[in-house]
Amino acid sequence: MPDVKMVNVTIDGHVVTVPDGTLVVEAAKLVGIEIPVFCYHHKLDPVGACRMCLVEISPGPPVAQAGCIRPVADGMVVKTQSAMAVQARADILEFELVNHPLDCPVCDKGGECPLQDFTFRHGYPTSRIDGPRLHFQKPIPLSPNIALDRERCVLCYRCTRYYDEVAWEQELTVAERGVHSVIASQFDQPLTSNFSGNIIDLCPVGALTSRLWRFESRPWDLHHTPSVCSKCAVGCNVTLWQRRGQLVRVTSRENDDIDEGWICDRGRFDYTDVNDPARLRVPAVHGSKTTWAVALNTVADGIKGKGSKLGISLPQDLTNEEAFLFRRLLDGPLRGAKVKMHGRTALPAPSGEQLMIKDIDDARVIIIVASDTENDVPIVNLRVKKAVSKRGAKLIVIHPDAVDLDRHRETVHIRNQPGEAAAEVRKLADHELLHEPGGPVAILYGDGRGSEDAAGLVAACTELAAKVGAKLMPLYRGTNERGSLELGVAGWDSLDGVEALLSWGPPPTAGVPASVKFHAVWDHLPRPEHQNASVVLPATSFAERQGSYTNLEGRVQFLRPAVDAEAPLKESWDVLCELAAALGLPLDYVGIFPIQREAAKAFPALAALAQPPSPEPEPVPVLMGPARP
Amino acid sequence: MADENGNDHDPTPLRRPGEGVPPKPEGEKPSIAGDVAALAGGLKTTLSEFFKPVVTTMYPEEKTPRSERYRGRHYLRRYDNGLERCIGCELCAAACPVGCILVIAAENTDEKRVSPGERYAKTYEINMLRCIFCGYCEEACPVQAIVLGPEYELSDTSREKFIYTKEKLLEPLPPDVEARLNAKGTAVPTPAPLPNPPPQGGRETTP
Ligand code: SF4
Ligand code: SF4
Ligand code: SF4
Ligand code: SF4
Ligand code: FES
Repeated sequence: MPDVKMVNVTIDGHVVTVPDGTLVVEAAKLVGIEIPVFCYHHKLDPVGACRMCLVEISPGPPVAQAGCIRPVADGMVVKTQSAMAVQARADILEFELVNHPLDCPVCDKGGECPLQDFTFRHGYPTSRIDGPRLHFQKPIPLSPNIALDRERCVLCYRCTRYYDEVAWEQELTVAERGVHSVIASQFDQPLTSNFSGNIIDLCPVGALTSRLWRFESRPWDLHHTPSVCSKCAVGCNVTLWQRRGQLVRVTSRENDDIDEGWICDRGRFDYTDVNDPARLRVPAVHGSKTTWAVALNTVADGIKGKGSKLGISLPQDLTNEEAFLFRRLLDGPLRGAKVKMHGRTALPAPSGEQLMIKDIDDARVIIIVASDTENDVPIVNLRVKKAVSKRGAKLIVIHPDAVDLDRHRETVHIRNQPGEAAAEVRKLADHELLHEPGGPVAILYGDGRGSEDAAGLVAACTELAAKVGAKLMPLYRGTNERGSLELGVAGWDSLDGVEALLSWGPPPTAGVPASVKFHAVWDHLPRPEHQNASVVLPATSFAERQGSYTNLEGRVQFLRPAVDAEAPLKESWDVLCELAAALGLPLDYVGIFPIQREAAKAFPALAALAQPPSPEPEPVPVLMGPARP
Repeated sequence: MADENGNDHDPTPLRRPGEGVPPKPEGEKPSIAGDVAALAGGLKTTLSEFFKPVVTTMYPEEKTPRSERYRGRHYLRRYDNGLERCIGCELCAAACPVGCILVIAAENTDEKRVSPGERYAKTYEINMLRCIFCGYCEEACPVQAIVLGPEYELSDTSREKFIYTKEKLLEPLPPDVEARLNAKGTAVPTPAPLPNPPPQGGRETTP
């Protein structure tokens, strides 16, 4: 870490010492002073487009200056409450509202809208505007998930800058110029990026809103629960929003170690199955509803003592706790069963020190082997983009097909024959970029969706890492693949020829083998594959689940239920314990915490399980009072 | 005994029997004539009241007049063209101090247009058992959709019937109340219909 010069600034009489180069708005945050912003966002480069952040800065010209583009300097004195600054901000707000529809009552942003808040805190109390306002079609669908309301847009360009800087996409632009500027998708085509949903969180007003959440509720109706996304192995932190027992919205929850406040569209929009009225809720044996005891005894009879004639299909998002209980079943009554996990890569459990996601930021050279990061590990992909475009890292991609990282002009893309990635990695040792990398090297490897020989590829990457002093990151795909690998349940067996099948989660990808005579299903949605199932057990969805996931870098994170699992739905640890009892293995746990403590003791990789953090997020510091002319 | 504020308190806890009864007035001795006079005086008051006009109202056959601002049962209003005023914004529910309003909103489509704007209330329910008739909902409503009418006789035979649904709330207001609300000048005029198809680019209209 290079030494950073610290400077002293005075903001409204508070002296604050910050690293040189900190922006005035950020320095003010440290002492709890609010400088309102629209275009500035701490994850985007400052542009100074909206002038909402005007403050008085001395020494300097006697005009209000934008605090979001001005870095602090030693001895700088910032006044946010001087008459000039206060009036300048109120005037800017008045301009913002000239064409604003102020339809807050029907605006999905109403209640969590910075424009509302700033108008209350920094604006004029009454409006002088009674002229005609600009009107547009309301709303304009930007994609099946996102609606655009041009009337409400304050032209802060956060959305287009995000698309440009962070997502490296060109789908969203500003059409026209000057007062006629409007946000538009390229050629009016629907947005297709896997990262489009983040512009909903970024937009400071109700111009970009979710069409799935459209008019579902007002923000103040919702109960929110901090949780973890269950769609892939990155483990982005999310907030789940619930109203009247329905999961109505998923938003990002900033964790700088993992997601930096971004989530992909799968995590954001793929939640409607939770509220599906067709959800399975009652156990059924041969199509008729029954009690859990009867159903579980039927399952136990069907799968007991089958040895290798029993096949088990595991979901990709089983929690560490479920995996631990399942491991005990595999060690006991279900010994010898064939296990196949959904979404599993062929990569083995990692050994030795691994690269963490946040370390990608500091890498000078990043090598990505055999992984379509955009779809397999989306938020790691954004981290790589940040390291390359904002921190100047060099990027080498080894992949047979075009990938979205090719969009950077300096990306070195080595197109290998499928199956030949290991050979290409071996050749890399002499690559010119790796001669003098000038800093850490990061190697991220996948399994080419099964096209590569994983063992050979891992060996080649480890060899290269040793040669150039790089750190490795295996790119798992299954949500809790890493945790399941560490617990030894992430099987990769073929289920062909089994006589009894327990499909937990979605049906096996290869379909139900024809040899199956007894088929038990444990799923949350009815599916055509359940047609001939002997037993159907209802399962919880990710929004009702408690437990933890281990993400691809080995970090254990806790899921919290946003929606109650209402009886007869049962939590899966409970079901597993009862199934074990029916199979003759007494597993007596009174709740999930004893399971976590026992798993933490038995598996060092899960030590974090013993101390689940408090579910309460840290309180946000209160900002200093209003400044209104 | 003085407490910390300097006030004296009588330490005696309770009164004993007879204590505190005012002493009989001295002087006038009891006499028969005096008693008869007192009786006559009382009867005179009774008789004079008997011939005055009656103030008792024969409820429920007769009703007392209601103040114009009386806050009775709620109504949801409609515009002249029949569209519902309510835009499903839930501001009434947010203002309600007892939380007895449930609004679930939905989006208007060209095929199914319920209210003039983008949004309408798919479900609108008021739990009349909880309502304290404070009128905050009426005050909060940006389009004067929910109003409290003059009816106060809301008895019924089951708790469920006190959950007033949208259907019940949309019953027309008594015409005189509606006329008064319109005459107050607070009424939002029926919004102009949206041009069909709506404009793609900017269009200036008077608000
Ligand atoms: S963007 Fe904010 S100020 Fe504008 S209508 Fe929506 S809630 Fe109101
Ligand atoms: S749509 Fe939202 S984020 Fe984009 S420019 Fe307009 S206000 Fe800013
Ligand atoms: S009158 Fe008061 S208590 Fe009754 S519904 Fe309205 S706001 Fe709630
Ligand atoms: S009655 Fe008025 S305040 Fe309540 S939801 Fe409808 S429009 Fe909003
Ligand atoms: S926030 Fe500073 S100019 Fe927009």
